[in-house]
Amino acid sequence: MTTLVPVTYKGGVYRHDEIVDLIDDLGGYIVQKHIMAQDVVLQSFVPRDDIDLIREIAKPLAGEVTEAPLVGTEIAVVSPSLEIHHLPHTACDIAEYLRRAGAKTNMVGLARGFGKRIANLNDEERDVINEHDLAVYALGNFEECIRQKFPVLRRGIHVPIVVTGAPDRETLVAIVDPPVEGYVGGIGRIMHRFKRPEELAKLDELVDEVSRTLDARRDVLAKDPLSVFPPRLMAILEERIHEISMLTHPTPVTAQMEGLRLKLPYDSYAPAVRSLEIADGVTIGDIADVTPSRMRNYILIRIKPFSETRILV
Amino acid sequence: MPPLNYFVVESPDATGREAYERIAGDVLQDLDLIKVVDRLHIYVDPKAPIFIAAGMLRHMPRAIRVTDFANINPGEKEIVLDIGDEAYLAPLLQKLWARYGKENVDQPDRFTVVLPAGLAGEEDLEQMVVADPSETLHKDIIYALQYIAPEGFKVRRQYIKDEKFYYVASEDTLEGDIVETMVAPIFAKMGVTL
Repeated sequence: MTTLVPVTYKGGVYRHDEIVDLIDDLGGYIVQKHIMAQDVVLQSFVPRDDIDLIREIAKPLAGEVTEAPLVGTEIAVVSPSLEIHHLPHTACDIAEYLRRAGAKTNMVGLARGFGKRIANLNDEERDVINEHDLAVYALGNFEECIRQKFPVLRRGIHVPIVVTGAPDRETLVAIVDPPVEGYVGGIGRIMHRFKRPEELAKLDELVDEVSRTLDARRDVLAKDPLSVFPPRLMAILEERIHEISMLTHPTPVTAQMEGLRLKLPYDSYAPAVRSLEIADGVTIGDIADVTPSRMRNYILIRIKPFSETRILV
Repeated sequence: MPPLNYFVVESPDATGREAYERIAGDVLQDLDLIKVVDRLHIYVDPKAPIFIAAGMLRHMPRAIRVTDFANINPGEKEIVLDIGDEAYLAPLLQKLWARYGKENVDQPDRFTVVLPAGLAGEEDLEQMVVADPSETLHKDIIYALQYIAPEGFKVRRQYIKDEKFYYVASEDTLEGDIVETMVAPIFAKMGVTL
């Protein structure tokens, strides 16, 4: 079996359809396509052995292929509030940097994430965060505040968490109990754009921490693979439900590690999605849970593992 | 950031102290208040919890008069105001409308305002106060301090008069004598009596 690896293709608009076709022909999947003025960015999964072939074909088009460890993941960047104290810097810079590594990021601004005594997390915020593959908590400057409020902000969250804050990594490890999956110290409440080399190095560290955490999850998944590879299901949905092509969202279908978020109204489309046949006699309903998302009225598809369905598409 | 004459951040948490030094610098720079603030002392203790910022302003900017941004050319029939800096045009028009009536204030283009001669004395017009930056400056200072302070510290007491200002904030109720017990000693450190 060929291994698909996450890569980013960056190139010009001119003849980029050739690359799109090539990836398709090689059996790869494109999970996100962005056209910005003259530039095209494709976040995709391609067979490991064919990366050099794509590089070669992209050469005359001045396109470049880079490894992007976070392609096909959806990450929540959790900010204690949407006030000027916490935005736009830190939270937006983190989100932007993760996006460069291929992730689809969503910003979750908590209604009451500030103040060590009054901080809390409501059920909607909890459910929305739980719909992601991973949550990055962008916390503040004081050790004491993080110690007191983080247990409240993580209550009920079962996805992996990476915590950032101004205290150094060792301090964060010491004050977060029970431990979370990742820590990045030295990023607190910052009032300017991340631009100095040491600040950018911190963001690189964050990307490494996030990919390490997700790789651990991927290893677990490899032992009991999903019934269908999410980008594959994404390609099938895009081909079979023509309304998706009419959506104006940047990512009408968002690929996650263990499922998909489909940005169509749940009430009118869920039955059609459930009964959609993807292989001989196998419908989406057989291999996945099609549930309403807490994000607007979208559909959340969670793919079941092989051990549960005994089906591999 | 060009240094203030006095800028100290105190906190029991060393990392937090450094971070707040940077935050205060960034905020003052962003809001263009560096030239206005002369001295600033911040004390922040998350355990208490308390945030105190106290300081002094440099001399207050004076009121803006028409002569500061426009040329007045009196003619036989009309007085032509030649606007140099559009920043104060809107408040100027408001003042002129209120004083001479909208029908008498004509604005043929962006940089010209025409008034009928005889209606306004040249002297009067020149000395007319159009805007007082100190009004907005007070608001700006308080906004900056609110912006610097930790967001959860919602209970606050603020003061700004002449050149002295302070801003005390906490998550819990503030003690009635907080100014005497905590703010006055900070002013004393700066060599000022509140």
